Amino acid sequence: MVDRRRIQGPEVSVAPIIIKSADKRTCLKDEHSRRRDGRNLEDICPIFLKTGLISQANGSAFIEIRRTKIACGVYGPRQTKIPSFSGKGNLNVEIKFAPFSCQKRRQPYRDAQEKDLSQLVIEALVPSIRLDLLPKSTIDIYITVLENDGTASCLAAAITCASVAVADAGIEMLDLVPASSASYIGGEIYMDSDLAEEQHETGYLILSYMPSLKEVTHILQSGDVDLALTTQAIEQCTDACSKIYSVMINSLLLPIRDTQ
Amino acid sequence: MAPVLISALEADYILKGIDDNLRADGRGRLDYREVILETGLITQAHGSARCRLGEGTDVLVGVKVDIGTVDIDGTEEEVATVKAKRGRVVCNVECSPIASQQFAGRGADDINNELTQMMSRVLNGPQGGLNLEKLCIIPGKACWIVYIDALVLDYAGNIVDTMFMTTRAALFNTQVPKAIIHDLGDGEVEFDLSEDVEEWERIEGWEHVPISVTLNKIGSRHIVDATPLEELTTEAKLHVMVNRNGKICGIQKSGSGSIEHSLLNEMVQEEYDINEKRMRNKPVEKLGFFAAT
Repeated sequence: MVDRRRIQGPEVSVAPIIIKSADKRTCLKDEHSRRRDGRNLEDICPIFLKTGLISQANGSAFIEIRRTKIACGVYGPRQTKIPSFSGKGNLNVEIKFAPFSCQKRRQPYRDAQEKDLSQLVIEALVPSIRLDLLPKSTIDIYITVLENDGTASCLAAAITCASVAVADAGIEMLDLVPASSASYIGGEIYMDSDLAEEQHETGYLILSYMPSLKEVTHILQSGDVDLALTTQAIEQCTDACSKIYSVMINSLLLPIRDTQ
Repeated sequence: MAPVLISALEADYILKGIDDNLRADGRGRLDYREVILETGLITQAHGSARCRLGEGTDVLVGVKVDIGTVDIDGTEEEVATVKAKRGRVVCNVECSPIASQQFAGRGADDINNELTQMMSRVLNGPQGGLNLEKLCIIPGKACWIVYIDALVLDYAGNIVDTMFMTTRAALFNTQVPKAIIHDLGDGEVEFDLSEDVEEWERIEGWEHVPISVTLNKIGSRHIVDATPLEELTTEAKLHVMVNRNGKICGIQKSGSGSIEHSLLNEMVQEEYDINEKRMRNKPVEKLGFFAAT
């Protein structure tokens, strides 16, 4: 039965393709090798990091880098729901992109990519947390991405934010874990790239590093790169991580300084 | 049955052996187990291959190509025009419950997802090697989608390396049907598939598909091609994917340990060297001797 009372929309709908004006070609860097926001290729963006965002959580942190905004809440250590005994604590990370956070609307339920990113965050954080002091316990880390300005830099920011939140929860750790990202565009390394730069990249690198112990807790690279460039990028990311480390420490000391 | 627990004594035994460059099965730290690779096993698939590593790990990859629509919504115009002229690769990895008891029921979900995403990251995009432009039939409307499905039939350590080797072999074996395009005028284009099997072409770019080398960090040393017991003593694994041209197509660390900074560079360099050698000496064997053992 055809419904004649209502005007039916089309059965298939797709998101629009954004058409740019013909003369404006995206130029990623100008003659002085400065990027669109005035940074050099190897500069990372200023970071806003604050703890104590969520009152209900044991520990929480909010990070804002350029347009990326990520909130993280840590609940734990609490009793584990797994029936079998384990001598070490369990770390559970759930990362979720808000439906409005990316260019294309994301589904409200967890998809495969989010599960994979959660696994990556777990692998990045586990070496730094003293889970052997927390048998039969679970630490739950919930990360919500409110706005995503480049997937690689978003993941790096999520790891940084989660590490600070775990420290804010008072859980014993070996070291904080800052993370940084870089894009390979046209044979050059662009540190901390945004969404527009990401569209033109031929590869990316995400690195998380414990500066005091000088250990890399996670590395992920994708794209077609040669060895020399990879090694250079790893060096640059490690240096960036050391810089981010001081920002993390500052954000944790801030509430203590205020009370003194 | 793959073990999930290892005693401290056994772990120590493996550690000391690796220190002396003598592993439990007599191999050195950088020795691979014997590889048996066979292609063209499954007639229903457009391409297939199976690889056995030593007595253990067994991975079967089937490739099917299907017609699909181009996925360009939500992207900028510049990127959309590039995407409109390309085909796609969709990967899926499944660890069958017959491979190991830990994969029964929902046990394999996490590892399946991790392996699928790892393969997607490497194969989707220019670093994957395949000529995606060649897979386009009608720009903006229809393209070939390459479905790569890997099935792990037996687990004895080192799934990632076996998976990539088998995928490369399966893509070598893949034949894409020929699409004949009819121009109906007025911008309307239609296409038909050629019935003649002789006209099917081998998928282009298979030789540039990367393979991976996994280094397992145990103590202060690292080994390649770990057995299940060695994997249990591993603190961290580093997978490096390199293609024929010597370009690094992906790096991923997995496992719950960390790697010293200086060691990381050394490991990447070493994996790169190992990869180079393996690419040269191991052309994909076209004929199989039956991998029944």
